[in-house]
Amino acid sequence: MAQTQIVHANIQTVPPTAILFVLVTALGLAGSRAGAADGVPEAVFQKRLAWWCLQPVRPAGPPSVRQSAWCRTDLDRFILAGLEKASLQPAPEADARTLARRLSFALTGLPPKPEDVEKFAADKSPRALESLVDALLASPHFGERWARHWMDVVHYTDTHGYEWDAPAKHAWRYRDYLVRAFNADVPFKQLILEQLAGDLLSPRVDPRSGLNESLLGPMALRLGERRHGDNAAAEGVTQEAIANIIDTVSKGFLGTTVACAQCHDHKLDAVSQRDYYALAGIFMSTRWGVRCVDAVDANEAVIAELRRHKLALRVELSKLWLNSREPVLAKLATLPADEKASPAFPDSLASLWRQTLLRSTNGTALAAAWPKLREEFQREREKRVAANQTNLTLVADFTRAGMECGWRWDGSGMKHGLVRDGEPVVADEGDAALAQLLPAGRWSHVWSQRLAGAVRSPLFAPETAVTFSAGYAAGRHAARAFIVDQAFHSERLAFLNQPQPAWLTLTAGNFDKLAGGNDTSRARRVYLELATKSLNNYFPPRTGYGGLKESDVADERSWFGLTRIYQHAAGKPPQDELARFAPLLAADSAPETKEQLATRFADVLLAAITRWAEDRCDSEDVRLLNEALAAKWLPNEATNSTLAPLVAAYRATEKRLQPDRTIGSADDWNEARDERLSVRGAYTEFADAVPRGNIRLLGGAATRDLPGSSGRLELARSIASDANPLTARAFVNRVWLHLFGEGLVRTPDDFGHLGEKPVHPELLDHLAARFVAEGWSLKKLVRLMVTSATWRQSSAPSSAALTKDAENRLWHHYPQQRLDAESIRDALLTVSGRLDPALGGEPIDPYRTAQDAAKRLFSGPLDGLGRRSLYLKMTLMEPPKFLALFNQPIPKLTTGKRDVTNVPDQALALLNDPFVLAMAKHWGDRVLKDGAATPEVRAKAMFTTALGRPPRDEELSRLVKLASRSAELHGLAPDALMACGPVWHDVAHALFNVKEFIYVH
Amino acid sequence: MSTEQGVAMNPLCPGRLAPAVTRRSFLQQSSLGIGWLAFAGLANRLAGVEARRPQSHFAPRAKHVIFLFMDGGVSHVDTFDPKPELTKRHGQPAQWRADELSQSVSANRKWLKNLWEYKQHGQSGLWVSDLLPHIAGVADELCVVRSMVGETPLHGAQSLLLHTGRSIGAAPSLGSWVSYGLGTENEQLPSYMLLNNDWVPNGGSQNFASSFLPATHQATPVRAKGRPVDNITPADPAALQRAKLDFLREQDTATAQARGGSDAIESAIKNYETAARMQSLVPSLCDVTGESPETLRLYGVDRANDFDKFYALQCLRARRMVEAGVRFIEITCPNTHGNNSPWDQHGDLRRRHEENARITDQPVAALIRDLKARGLLDETLILWAGEMGRTPHSSGTDGRDHHVSGYTIFMAGGGVRGGMTYGTTDEMGMSAVEHRVDIHDLHATVLHLLGMNHERLTFRFGGRDQRLTDVHGQVIEEILV
Repeated sequence: MAQTQIVHANIQTVPPTAILFVLVTALGLAGSRAGAADGVPEAVFQKRLAWWCLQPVRPAGPPSVRQSAWCRTDLDRFILAGLEKASLQPAPEADARTLARRLSFALTGLPPKPEDVEKFAADKSPRALESLVDALLASPHFGERWARHWMDVVHYTDTHGYEWDAPAKHAWRYRDYLVRAFNADVPFKQLILEQLAGDLLSPRVDPRSGLNESLLGPMALRLGERRHGDNAAAEGVTQEAIANIIDTVSKGFLGTTVACAQCHDHKLDAVSQRDYYALAGIFMSTRWGVRCVDAVDANEAVIAELRRHKLALRVELSKLWLNSREPVLAKLATLPADEKASPAFPDSLASLWRQTLLRSTNGTALAAAWPKLREEFQREREKRVAANQTNLTLVADFTRAGMECGWRWDGSGMKHGLVRDGEPVVADEGDAALAQLLPAGRWSHVWSQRLAGAVRSPLFAPETAVTFSAGYAAGRHAARAFIVDQAFHSERLAFLNQPQPAWLTLTAGNFDKLAGGNDTSRARRVYLELATKSLNNYFPPRTGYGGLKESDVADERSWFGLTRIYQHAAGKPPQDELARFAPLLAADSAPETKEQLATRFADVLLAAITRWAEDRCDSEDVRLLNEALAAKWLPNEATNSTLAPLVAAYRATEKRLQPDRTIGSADDWNEARDERLSVRGAYTEFADAVPRGNIRLLGGAATRDLPGSSGRLELARSIASDANPLTARAFVNRVWLHLFGEGLVRTPDDFGHLGEKPVHPELLDHLAARFVAEGWSLKKLVRLMVTSATWRQSSAPSSAALTKDAENRLWHHYPQQRLDAESIRDALLTVSGRLDPALGGEPIDPYRTAQDAAKRLFSGPLDGLGRRSLYLKMTLMEPPKFLALFNQPIPKLTTGKRDVTNVPDQALALLNDPFVLAMAKHWGDRVLKDGAATPEVRAKAMFTTALGRPPRDEELSRLVKLASRSAELHGLAPDALMACGPVWHDVAHALFNVKEFIYVH
Repeated sequence: MSTEQGVAMNPLCPGRLAPAVTRRSFLQQSSLGIGWLAFAGLANRLAGVEARRPQSHFAPRAKHVIFLFMDGGVSHVDTFDPKPELTKRHGQPAQWRADELSQSVSANRKWLKNLWEYKQHGQSGLWVSDLLPHIAGVADELCVVRSMVGETPLHGAQSLLLHTGRSIGAAPSLGSWVSYGLGTENEQLPSYMLLNNDWVPNGGSQNFASSFLPATHQATPVRAKGRPVDNITPADPAALQRAKLDFLREQDTATAQARGGSDAIESAIKNYETAARMQSLVPSLCDVTGESPETLRLYGVDRANDFDKFYALQCLRARRMVEAGVRFIEITCPNTHGNNSPWDQHGDLRRRHEENARITDQPVAALIRDLKARGLLDETLILWAGEMGRTPHSSGTDGRDHHVSGYTIFMAGGGVRGGMTYGTTDEMGMSAVEHRVDIHDLHATVLHLLGMNHERLTFRFGGRDQRLTDVHGQVIEEILV
């Protein structure tokens, strides 16, 4: 592909500007090659490393202040010192009800219960606020609130947008993981490690759910827009995803922008283009696989039970089948001779029977035909055995544990799926007792098609095409996919529908060449994945893909298994060696009659049955028996009186299995390669490979635990290090921002030269050091901040303070804030009494005015079942509109600080949106039963519920006046007012629209 | 003009100091309030943000834009770019160079001829195929650009590029930039309206988002079927709503006063009055029952099929919005069947292109004629564009795949020359070979026609002065009147 230099040529034609001049002077860049593509001089880089946020955190003692009595915490001394220096006074403490409402929204995102407000207002103990804080910190809604804050950083989404809005594979489990983690106050350091490299940590098991929490973490890296397809089809697909990951990691954890260095050295910060590619090497060496996250096998007891049922069934079936000689003979008698000779040697008992009849003139000329048939068979068999010996190289053997030769399996289906020849599979529905018998191998559906399985290959050698054949069977949209360059949604995916064991022949290698591309020199990373639905990264794929129907998406069953994999030259796949017919054709003497012939055929089958009944059959026996089963030669009816109770018991027990819980995560196979630096970010123009590792401003590459490892764990450890100057500062600043409306650094995602410097750097360091010292505890940090005198200030600033410091950088009052989108919706649910406070679970489709089935953009219930906004499905293609209206960010990029707009559309929504009206109706109907004697009593209670404080007299009379006016407009007599729903819908609706409802003070 | 194929267009890049940081733009941004249009200021005050916007940079030719988005990709060789050589070599194996960006997933591709006859039309003799007979009738108004070049032959990437100037990430839409740059002429109406009838094209709602620009500049979607705008219908009878609004004004004003004044709350109070007026204005704007029967017939609002009728209605509403002072109006095509996007015909191209043409051709031509008759065409720029073209080659006989190395769009009115073509593709319609135009050039030209210099229309975000055209874009001087 052609490319032109896009950035620097232009920059160099621009005359020096005022801003640039200032920056250049300040950074000592004048006369340097700052605009050049080939790097920032070392001396300049060193100078950049002296930037404030790259220096170690230096905890200073709190400064001395004159009005020390005001201070409740050390934090306050830093703030007060600044105020005193500017000759400003802190604002007085806010009143109790204001604080209660402020605290409730800040800590849980929900409005306070009126009774809790009154209890707090009445509590005159000096530790009243601390008690309330502790109660709120212990609330399960704390985790929901703070999970949502972090979800802005990782730009949480349930789908990947772009063209088809493919699902982010079970991302909601990650959302619930965050809620659990923040509720349990898991050290944030641990959460950093888990989100970056949880797949490489020993499991942290949630005792209640049995989930491996660590493995849920890496979903953090996968969120946001992701395209379908891969680099070999459209160069850049994965690079864009990696750029997004690097952007999120660097902004989110470090408050540093690195992604711009994809194309050039950072213009101002100590980040080089090599740094970018050092990180890119880590993430390009990571497999973005779906993983099973059950740390505890919940199914062992059920499987033991299934094993007993299956054994009993096998015993009964053996009896029935061993008595099947007569029916088999009868079936054979109905099979006529073939009309034409088959060109290849017959591969089934039935076709061999029919060909034999053809050649022997319906069994009347067996004496002449038989020797010929025997000879042909022996010739064919020898030829095939020899060909297989010459052509085939065993690559992986799934019939024995530990012989997978670098291929790996996952999923509990596979865990419990290693079987000997002849393992029966019980049909989970329908008229048949058994679905099939399995040859030895590893099969996901030995016990149930609802258990998951995946098998993944090592990377293929990139330079040459490799052809191989896997012995397999599969069904119900199990799929195989080649994953090229760590594609998230590979469209080299095909569904497998092969109920009887067969060979799957595939060629892996140079995909550019295969695609008719031109870039044959690329060292692509390619591996093969076979997976059942729940372990398939790209299931469901875009609608209609591969003939997939939406009913197939809803069906949780799918299955596959493997026997052995052989490599061979193209066009020379494994051949059927026909061993199962050897006993039949062993005898010299020809059968004399058709009846004798039939007896010999039946003997072969009965011998196989006998071996199966004695559990010593081989794969050829399995083949014969599967053929007989499929042709209904053997009794296999689920309704058979001896089989029926056993089949029913099996099926009932099978339903008790817990399907694997899976999530898109990460996987490191110690197969890492360094990335080459892309010149000016062009995807096809390369400089040297950059050793993968950490960025220089964090000390550069660390020694890797294993030579081939991606380095992701080492990166995680460096970011989560107590000594990292950025991580704790960045996180503490985010927490401050969520509690105070603005950060100490007001650009929370960028502490670099293009961000803002803190006004209180010593306070930031004090908090960061304390946070680390207290074990990276979010709850302790929040508690410290909200119990401070600074946070308790009233939101009414003095005019002196506004004149001196209009932007409140010295924190002379608590800034009034509009509620975020989720809190507005959650407050509507709570106040109206519609809230379902349940935690977690699959996302709920947002209400939509139009659906798009092709993109699975479905409409959910208007009120989202009363669930908190956190649980509405974040479809990136079309995020929930009500939340977007109040500035929930589009989840493509890290949003450390949300916009807060104030537009007429918001007024229109609160006036006319059907959800708001439904909540008003719900509330208005509820208050009819409150037993209030007068409109005043009811209106007062409603006002208090909505705003967290009782109305003043004039406010109450204003509201009662509205109720009267509403009654009048509804044509009611004044005495009918108390029993009239619409009047109270109107009152509720009006209260939702009071500005105070969507602000905290 | 540059071609940036295969280059990482990095929207995550705050460190890239674009030439937007010029002394002039710096001074403009420092001198708040100079030259902003009266309403634009109000809009920004309502939005609770600080207005920092340059004035018109020079005399505008156009005041409005109507963007007719032909999403999925119209086949350029079947509409405005006749290729006799292609037809001659029909059925022969196709070959192309590595830098010709098509979707080329299948082998054994063959050239596929122009599927509709071409004729010359109007005094200008402009070539238009029989697929678009009504548009052919206004050939003398059309400025056809045959040399468009994209970046990636994928819908989502190209759609975002066409709408936002970036193939990924979160940048503001062209319409948002226009709204931000010019403000609206009518403070009761949004300045960027999207007539999409609930259809969300590839790339998602991001195509129409204001991103880091103030939210007041995002598109307001308008439905053709049913209630035109969400939440626009008053939930209450007028008197009841008035009672609530009166209550709210008193209550909120008292709150603001008790707090010694609160800008945010006072702005929110004003929003309620604006919102109340929008409830009547927007529906009346969308109501075409007062239009003459001739006009309704001209657009085809009387057509029986819903797709036809609603597209015609959208075009007619667009004219009414221009009259009402809306700055930027986008109309999307309906997706008539379970396809990725309306014009995306990898197969069944004859039937589906004809269906799309049936739906859009007459109303688009009517819109151009009607605007002209009312003297509005000169001040309204029509932009008819898909996000890509389609391959001149095919793996079958009735389908074409994605193609971005040379394709066609047209403009009309608004200061562009009519009856002309600009740029050429090679003899097979594969690559733009003369006057290559990329999306940034197109954006620069649109802004230019509106009186804005694309290098000076900036907004500070992520530490840099962001532009619609990033660091690219050249105005296509040759097509200007």
